[in-house]
Amino acid sequence: MSTPDSIRQLPEYAALTRARKKIMWPLSLATIAAYFALILTIAFYPSTLGEPIGDGVTSIGMVLGLSVIVFCMVITGIYVYYANRVLEPLTQAIVKKAGGAA
Amino acid sequence: MRYNAPIALILSAMATCAWAQAAGSNSINVTAIIMFLAFVAVTLGITYWAARRTKTASDFYAAGGGITGFQNGLAIAGDYMSAASFLGIAGLVYTSGFDGLIYAIGFLVGWPIVLVLIAEPLRNLGKYTFADVASFRLQQKPIRILAASGSLVTVIFYLIAQMVGAGKLIELLFGLPYEVAVVIVGVLMTLYVTFGGMIATTWVQLIKAILLLSGATLMAVLVMVQFGFSFENMFAEAVKVHAKGDAIMAPGTLVSDPISAISLGIALMFGTAGLPHILMRFFTVKDAVQARRSVFYATGFIGYFYILTFIIGFGAIILLLKNPAYFTDGALIGGANMAAIHLSQALGGDILLGFISAVAFATILAVVSGLTLAGSSAISHDLYATLVLKGDRDEKKEIRASRIATVCLGVIAVLLGIVFEKQNVAFMVGLAFCVAASANFPILLLSMYWRKLTTRGAVMGGGLGLLTAVILVVLGPTVWVDAFGFAEAIFPYKYPAIFSVSIAFIGIWFFSITDKSATAANEQAAFDAQFVRSQTGIGAAEASQH
Repeated sequence: MSTPDSIRQLPEYAALTRARKKIMWPLSLATIAAYFALILTIAFYPSTLGEPIGDGVTSIGMVLGLSVIVFCMVITGIYVYYANRVLEPLTQAIVKKAGGAA
Repeated sequence: MRYNAPIALILSAMATCAWAQAAGSNSINVTAIIMFLAFVAVTLGITYWAARRTKTASDFYAAGGGITGFQNGLAIAGDYMSAASFLGIAGLVYTSGFDGLIYAIGFLVGWPIVLVLIAEPLRNLGKYTFADVASFRLQQKPIRILAASGSLVTVIFYLIAQMVGAGKLIELLFGLPYEVAVVIVGVLMTLYVTFGGMIATTWVQLIKAILLLSGATLMAVLVMVQFGFSFENMFAEAVKVHAKGDAIMAPGTLVSDPISAISLGIALMFGTAGLPHILMRFFTVKDAVQARRSVFYATGFIGYFYILTFIIGFGAIILLLKNPAYFTDGALIGGANMAAIHLSQALGGDILLGFISAVAFATILAVVSGLTLAGSSAISHDLYATLVLKGDRDEKKEIRASRIATVCLGVIAVLLGIVFEKQNVAFMVGLAFCVAASANFPILLLSMYWRKLTTRGAVMGGGLGLLTAVILVVLGPTVWVDAFGFAEAIFPYKYPAIFSVSIAFIGIWFFSITDKSATAANEQAAFDAQFVRSQTGIGAAEASQH
């Protein structure tokens, strides 16, 4: 079985940590930004959110709020898609080189 | 566990007798009782089956690691969709429209964070509790004591909120005395967890999640069909009948000042990633791939469920406000939290009312079971095994300790449920999230990603976060004014997370970077090896084979 140090020398390991960083921070920050943008609008501009869209009664806030719920689901979908396509093959390659020690 | 079946039979018989008596004195929904007894019978059957399969510590704490990603996603969603969130959010939408949506969103936004930052490293580094991860390269004793304290505080506040809610709900739905209701909930959850461990707790949660999702879907469809499946038509009708008019389409009084708004946001978002009963579920799946899949499904189910709850709240506005039968002295019978229950009757008569009532009860039972298991694991796996057993890792002794802890927690939950009967416990879920965000989450996150973290930093920072959260809630308006009855709060904000989470992170940072001891250097040096395992899963705990 390979040691953690020898695994760290593998090019696939460098590629894995790089690929993970590339998806991890943008998605986390996007979620945090979307949520706090809504929260701050609620705190500072509550009346804007109450504005109806067009001639109807549906307000901007309702649409934005429900969109944030859908946005969360989309974010998890993007991550799982990326992880299965990019992160998983790299992980498997590392496990194989490390002598199937997983 | 051969002695489990007769005990279970006796207890369910006792419960039935209590019901039969209550049935004589009040107008009781027969459907509700039959459905609830069927749920209890099935879940006790599952507990009996699970008890025969619970042999090792891995079975007891983590269902042997044999749960699939989809099942676990549903179980996580089940843990999260408590009666408080079903009845509470529907009630909040019913009273103030948009404000209910703010809460629903807050409870959901933590999930992408859990998925992207926490789920996979957690599964790769831990075995049964999140303290396994936090103490991976730090000193076992102090870190496990702190993590177990954070877990227990979170679990107990959460449990009190659920027990009181359960007692009131059952009192109202089935006409049972409050104390009897709390005892029944306490006895059943203790049976599930003591005998069936994580296997029973997971299957109870799965059944309940399916029941709750189907019940809520049916109700939402029955509401939407009246408006041609158009939100615009539904909103228009609601604005017409609601006393607040079109104010229900805008933010109301729930979040009044910016500090409270941000603080609530921080508590809900990061608290989710620090709830011990949720984190524990990640150890029930085979590997990091399944852990990832779990959160994907969980987020989908939870988001879908909140949208249903939102529709149900609006349905309640439209269908209940026009009907005086649901009101006494101008107030909704049983308070706003009963909006969803009354709506089920308005939509589908006594049959749907019975079904939804039974589902609400099942929801409470499943959630308190998950909480109790997380609490007892913190006691047995983190405290007892590390402090008392030390090097002598005797699984049998550890499981026995966990079962004893479960019974103790059951008794404590029942007693606290009775003590807090007359108190407003709504703040307790908020407090649980605040403690989870201020103590559990920072330690967990930094132990996974920050090389310079040391034991001293984690203990000081995490401890400060925990203390600050609890003290500021006590001094704030919800406890100091509403519960203790003082005229003015010492700490002006309802939600202290913005302060307590900052203090935790700053404390951890400061006491870590100033730690120049030799152990600190070793802990920092151990980060690279830990990171390899957290990223690749090489060396991670595997599913038990049987």
